[in-house]
Amino acid sequence: MSSETLAQPLGGRIQWLRRPRGIARRSPTFAAGLIIILVYGFVALFAPVLTPFDAINAFPYHVLESPNGRFLLGTDGNGMDVLSRVMYGTRYAFGIAIPAVILMVAIGVPLGLIAGYKGGILDEVLLRILDVMRSFPAIILALAVVAATGQTLVNVVVVLGLVEAPIFARVVRAEVLALRSGGYVEAAVAAGNPVRRLLFVHIMPNAISGATAQIPLRMAWAVRASATLAFLGVGIQAPAPEWGAMIRQGAEFLISGQWWVALFPGVALVGIVLGFNLVGDGLHDLLDPKSKTASK
Amino acid sequence: MVPLLFGIIFVTFMLVRIGGQDAVGMLAGPMADEAQIAEIRRSLGLDRPIIEQFVAYMGNLVQGDLGNSWQSHSTVAEEILSRLPASLELLILAILVGTTVGIPIGLYAAYNPNRLFDQITRFGSLVGFSIPTYWFALVASFVFFFVLRWAAAPMGRIGMDVFPPPEITGSYLVDALVTGRWDAALSAAHRLMLPVIVFAIIVSAPIIKQTRAIALEAMGSDYIRYARACGYGPGLVRRIAMRASLVPVVTFIGAEVATMLLAVSLIELIFAWGGLGQWGLNAILFGDFAAVQGYVLVLASFSAFVFLLVDLLVLVLEPRARLRQ
Amino acid sequence: MSLLEVENLHTHFISRTLNDELRVAKGLNGVTFSLENGEIMGLVGETGAGKSLTAMSIMGLLSPPARIVDGSARFDGIELTNMKREELDQLRGNEITMIVQSPVSSLDPLKRIGRQLVRIQQVHQDISKAEAHQRAVEMLRTVGIPNPALRTRAWPHELSGGMAQRVLIAMALINSPRLVIADEPTTGLDVTVQAQILDLFLDLVRERGLSAIIITHDLGIVAHYCSKMAVMFAGRVVEQGPVRTVFKDARHPYTRALINSTPSRVARYGHVRSAGGAPPNLYDLPKGCHYRDRCEFSADICATIPPEVHLDSAHLASCHFSLNVPWAAEG
Repeated sequence: MSSETLAQPLGGRIQWLRRPRGIARRSPTFAAGLIIILVYGFVALFAPVLTPFDAINAFPYHVLESPNGRFLLGTDGNGMDVLSRVMYGTRYAFGIAIPAVILMVAIGVPLGLIAGYKGGILDEVLLRILDVMRSFPAIILALAVVAATGQTLVNVVVVLGLVEAPIFARVVRAEVLALRSGGYVEAAVAAGNPVRRLLFVHIMPNAISGATAQIPLRMAWAVRASATLAFLGVGIQAPAPEWGAMIRQGAEFLISGQWWVALFPGVALVGIVLGFNLVGDGLHDLLDPKSKTASK
Repeated sequence: MVPLLFGIIFVTFMLVRIGGQDAVGMLAGPMADEAQIAEIRRSLGLDRPIIEQFVAYMGNLVQGDLGNSWQSHSTVAEEILSRLPASLELLILAILVGTTVGIPIGLYAAYNPNRLFDQITRFGSLVGFSIPTYWFALVASFVFFFVLRWAAAPMGRIGMDVFPPPEITGSYLVDALVTGRWDAALSAAHRLMLPVIVFAIIVSAPIIKQTRAIALEAMGSDYIRYARACGYGPGLVRRIAMRASLVPVVTFIGAEVATMLLAVSLIELIFAWGGLGQWGLNAILFGDFAAVQGYVLVLASFSAFVFLLVDLLVLVLEPRARLRQ
Repeated sequence: MSLLEVENLHTHFISRTLNDELRVAKGLNGVTFSLENGEIMGLVGETGAGKSLTAMSIMGLLSPPARIVDGSARFDGIELTNMKREELDQLRGNEITMIVQSPVSSLDPLKRIGRQLVRIQQVHQDISKAEAHQRAVEMLRTVGIPNPALRTRAWPHELSGGMAQRVLIAMALINSPRLVIADEPTTGLDVTVQAQILDLFLDLVRERGLSAIIITHDLGIVAHYCSKMAVMFAGRVVEQGPVRTVFKDARHPYTRALINSTPSRVARYGHVRSAGGAPPNLYDLPKGCHYRDRCEFSADICATIPPEVHLDSAHLASCHFSLNVPWAAEG
């Protein structure tokens, strides 16, 4: 058996599909996760068109109906269609996760870069702060702050962004330190590069890779965190179709047997968080130079 | 450690004070007017400069006085101590179950990589990662209590019809077993079942994933390849890898415990467990300053304590660490 | 029948790119050599020539994506490439042992070295712990570790590179093997220590009448310690034979270039004949002779696979011009 015969690309001649197929083969988790997120994204974008009803459209005569032909996932305590609310919930999920993660990156990465590069007191102070923050479960921190400062969407986003920024700072700082000790930086300095160029052209691209892998995972966290906050009654509240708030409302009805109000928002939550986690996990596979291969 | 703790206290204090003005209004009730609110504020010392308040708090703290809880009129210290055993009971049991089940699964998946078991395990743990704790607890109690009637009602740590055992450790289960109160023990165990299982599942997901990753990395290392070159059989090779994986796994579990604290609180809430977490969450929601501070302080100290424990454990297990001492 | 016979061994690395294409890196392309009892062979070549890969393939230590796709390796007449794990484990560490490149990280980090020496004995022989320990101490003394009885309690990370390498030598010899493969045994060691280690190792090998393969890129080591040598390039053995013969009368351009680039030769002849050049791309080797692109004598005929020319019973070379070398005039 020679290796040449194995060299035919399996699965056909469709050229433009090759890259996606290659990626899917190398990491099915990444592909699966990406598909899931794209579906959610699609729903978020086209919600008004896709949903049978408006998210806060109440039908007073159809309160707490179990799933039926008209209301596919049933109705909640206000007579609103669960399916529509779940679908509109995607907007909240992305609307919180994306800005929050952008904030995390915007704060954490520069801090990590500077601390790692400059070192000294700045670095020490940052480390202490990071240590303190590490000792708090992030969500409790977020909880305390949001409860204290008010329950608006913006507050939630800002707080989530601040609370998890340290992770990016830490990752980037570690990468920068590794680069520094590797002599790469010394060589660049010796070649006469000014500091700013050094930071942005030489160090940052390398340090970024670790941070990039974190992004989908932080998105997952942000969605979960905002839902948890809403569930506890902090942050976004009913009648906004946020999944956590919906579960909160649905919890009351579980005892009386109306399970659909609490179940479906949770399923949607699991789906999107799973999607992000799959992407994050898969990214790991893809970026890892050691690929697993055909052992026929 | 001490500066860390100080930092924690300081941060907590500042956070809680930042926006807590509304809470005073709540305490005073809807009928209070400006003057009354101001009076309350003054009596609680909230009108003095923040730094002064902080210093006063620290002074009290050193003497063991954590302040008074508004809601219950007892000291924060008392509230914490009375609720701690319940939370610990849940936490310890769930960690035990989660690790005893999770670590072997992770190891087995690593030793047969990419086979069916491994694929299922990887997917399963990712799903476990993605399930919100409170929702899972809700659904589980719905299915297993409401529908199937297998588990006990999610209402507290012991049945309504049973007298709690005499208090020794504070844990109903332990106290009942120790004092021979079998009826109480049975009831407490029944109540523990569902929350512990739910929590153990949540806890095991990251453990399985990380154990597998660590074991895989060990399998690809120089010393494993050399072990194979020495003609060691697959069993021995795996044992070598397993021992080498132990320290990273222990370190990871320690880190996990810190994140578990929130999940415990949520579970306590759902199952009306009456533990620290439930109390703390409520305190936050109602703006009970001293209580919140006490709660967060306990959480952070607990984390710091766990990290310390892990560091000590690593010193014992890992000869390479001793070199750096 | 030779102790070790490697015949036409092909080892490939099979992987897929992100564009879903199959990529094959041909690490070994028909390696053939043999080793008799008591022979000490030097396996030389530049980085990427396939020296370590040959050792891994023989000992069954390949991990995915590498696999043997053709050829055979026979020890004492028994085929190794298709052996079951249990049988292979009986040979490894016992009759065929290996000394690897990074000694400190290859020892079990969580076991004291004395216990590791005991373990490797107990795995392969029926021996009591006490006796094994006795032998371990003896072995440590033999490899020149001072205070051996005390040293058995040392952890691997407490050892210096040189000490650790001595321990590996002890591990390799303690079960009285018949063949020892030393893969770049002096990498990472101080120059002063290198000579000591090699002297020690080869003395022991000769004393016990063992066969050994020394994998190295250093011709000096081969010249000094080995009786036979095999030169590898791009996964093929381009020349092999008794050391003296090959050094005096190299019949392959690559061998010649290698030999001529040693400092003493440069001093004598006054210039360096370049043996260097870009390393061959294992994913895309030239058809025919793999050395074509770097050879100063390459001609049209080199597009076909060069034959294995038997210059005498022990000296073989794989070049179209081996019988009539184009440099005969030059000296």
